[in-house]
Amino acid sequence: MIKTLAELKAGEEAHLKDFTKNPALHFKLLSLGVLPGDLIKVLSCAPFGGPIAFKHGEATTFAMRKKEAKEIIVQINAQEERAP
Amino acid sequence: MDKMPVQDSTPITAEASLKHLPLIGLPNAGKSTLFNLLTGGSRKVSNYSGITVEASRGELLTNSNDSSILYELIDLPGIYNLTPTSYDEGVTVATLLELEPQYNFEKVIILLDWHRIAPSLGMALGVLKRVGNKAIIIINKDDDQEVTIEDRKKLQDILGVPVLPITALDADLQTIDHFIRTEKPYSKKDLGAESLPITPLSASYLPSSLTGHNQLKIIPGKKGEEAVANEINCNLEESHRILDGLQTKNFKRSGLSEKIDKIVLHPLLGGLIFFAIFYLIFNAIYSWAGPIMGLTEQVVLMTGDWIGSYLPQGVFKSLIVDALFSGVGGVVIFLPQIMILFFLLSLLEQSGYISRAAFISDRVMSFFGLGGKAFLPYMSGYACAIPGIMAARTIPSQKERLATIMTLPLITCSARLPVYILLIGTFVPSYTVFKIFNTQALSFFFLYFLGSFMALIIAKILRLSAFKGGPSNFLIDLPQYERPSIRAALKQSWQKGRNFLKKAGTIILALSILIWLLSTFPKVSQEKIQGLTDQQSASIQLEHSALGQLGHFIEPVIEPIGMNWKIGVGLLVSFGARELFVSAMGTLYALGEVDEESEGLRAKLIAEVDPDTGKKVFDLATAWSILFFFVFSLQCTSTLAILKKETGGWRIPLITFTYMLVLAYGSSFIVYRLLS
Repeated sequence: MIKTLAELKAGEEAHLKDFTKNPALHFKLLSLGVLPGDLIKVLSCAPFGGPIAFKHGEATTFAMRKKEAKEIIVQINAQEERAP
Repeated sequence: MDKMPVQDSTPITAEASLKHLPLIGLPNAGKSTLFNLLTGGSRKVSNYSGITVEASRGELLTNSNDSSILYELIDLPGIYNLTPTSYDEGVTVATLLELEPQYNFEKVIILLDWHRIAPSLGMALGVLKRVGNKAIIIINKDDDQEVTIEDRKKLQDILGVPVLPITALDADLQTIDHFIRTEKPYSKKDLGAESLPITPLSASYLPSSLTGHNQLKIIPGKKGEEAVANEINCNLEESHRILDGLQTKNFKRSGLSEKIDKIVLHPLLGGLIFFAIFYLIFNAIYSWAGPIMGLTEQVVLMTGDWIGSYLPQGVFKSLIVDALFSGVGGVVIFLPQIMILFFLLSLLEQSGYISRAAFISDRVMSFFGLGGKAFLPYMSGYACAIPGIMAARTIPSQKERLATIMTLPLITCSARLPVYILLIGTFVPSYTVFKIFNTQALSFFFLYFLGSFMALIIAKILRLSAFKGGPSNFLIDLPQYERPSIRAALKQSWQKGRNFLKKAGTIILALSILIWLLSTFPKVSQEKIQGLTDQQSASIQLEHSALGQLGHFIEPVIEPIGMNWKIGVGLLVSFGARELFVSAMGTLYALGEVDEESEGLRAKLIAEVDPDTGKKVFDLATAWSILFFFVFSLQCTSTLAILKKETGGWRIPLITFTYMLVLAYGSSFIVYRLLS
């Protein structure tokens, strides 16, 4: 199922599909080692539509605003792992 | 007040023997810790991205042993890649490309974070492509010595540069120093010639003189984005390839951090914890420091009495007792509060909580047109506005940045602390409400809240008018929690305490003497005070002094806000530095008194009676009127200077000064009328 990152609830996981829409965000995520196809988990959503915290891999935690999360397309229950 | 970060733009190429060593790494990789270790300097260290906003420099400690080559470290703001998305990242990239002509590079030190080794190495690979012929690599946070000798060799072979694994918190200084001084990149590889693709937006964060640099390739449009993404991707993939070939399969698990985050970032609990932490800090400053402060005050007073008793009656005794002990001593007694504040802030910063606080506050901050990224500058503002204003460079949007720095002086800085504590401690009755809250601590918390809240309101107004525009990007790295080092916190607290004493011993001492001079001379003629009691003649003398006349001159302006001429003089001199209010009051009240017995300024303030009406001069209304004035007004010449420097003109500092003065006077007026 295709969704935006902003639609996920706390505790849910999804695979990243496309996050190139916002270049600054795109470059930062790439540098953190976050790549298309990676699994990403929602840690917490701040109340009243505040930012969302995510976990990627074993040691990377970051947060972004809802507005930016809306620009990121994810796929839920995707079977395929990160492309080699 | 905070120490100004080291920063001068004068070319230093003249000192040919001094070589510069820039320190590059991910935000929060431990650059500042290493910098402090090697230079002995106390660069501020914290567990939050963006604390280093200006290149700060310091000579290696060992320079004194070996004078043949002098090395100077340059601590640069952290970067994730070579594509700047804010001004502070621009500083690093520009410096790295050797575009800043004032540096004389010999080597570049790349600091990798072992906890985040993949992105660190990816960033390093990008740097190596540009300045690989000058780079050496240090791997930090190898706390359990996981990097084996074979792995180290392997990395050196692949990268073509020397590699040293360390743990900066408990490091062998000599080994690191030796490594930096002697190791050089291996020449078998041709490193450091590639050009750097960059988008026009990123180029806008670089100095305009650099856009023509031959290693910089500005590519507009989608093509540029693709080129940058491709560059970052290639580096990261190579980083993974290299790491897969190593024996050690690290990589730190974040189980505990995640558990803590479940509570700390919880939609409801998170907010409560946020407030609890900050209330606790203010309560600690207030309640814990109280007894220590009382003791310090006693010691200062007793010493003053003791010395005074040996001095002959006259002008010299008055200078020592009234200017030195009542003036400067009155400020020095706030040392415990300053030290406790910085100790606790340091623990909080080191732990990694600050970026969580940015997360929690972002919703509220963005409602006011700022963002979570303004949280750190605001937070620094509680210590001093100057580092806060400089930290605002991490905010990518220029309009948001201006709105942040124009409102930052409203944040209650540590220079206001002495005034708040003096007045609240003296005039707000202390009792417990709702079983746990102390009224004095609450008043204190309220003043901090008031300043911060007004800062947000003004920011909102600015963002709706002069600095209209959308919010900047908000992608914030939440570093793993780390156990804060008490030693580092004590060091920080000691450092700030020392700066505070230094300020008291220099600026405040000098100005206190000036205040004493102006309030002692000109002397009134003997006929005027003939037949009067000593008490009366002392107060007449004070009123006829230069400062007394000035005070009476401005009395019509300050009378509507409930102040008499003495307080007016205090307000006037506090525009130089806020602590001067306390020292001026100390001197004025000590001069007006005849008996120099150990009676603190607090007791004198409570006891003062208006000679005309017979009423007490200070009541709750006057105290709150003064407090409100201090919450809002910009009484700090250093802040004005840094505002001018950061905005490149007098316009912004003048506007800021004026609106804050209007707020201060207006609110004092209202509060005084309401309470009296």
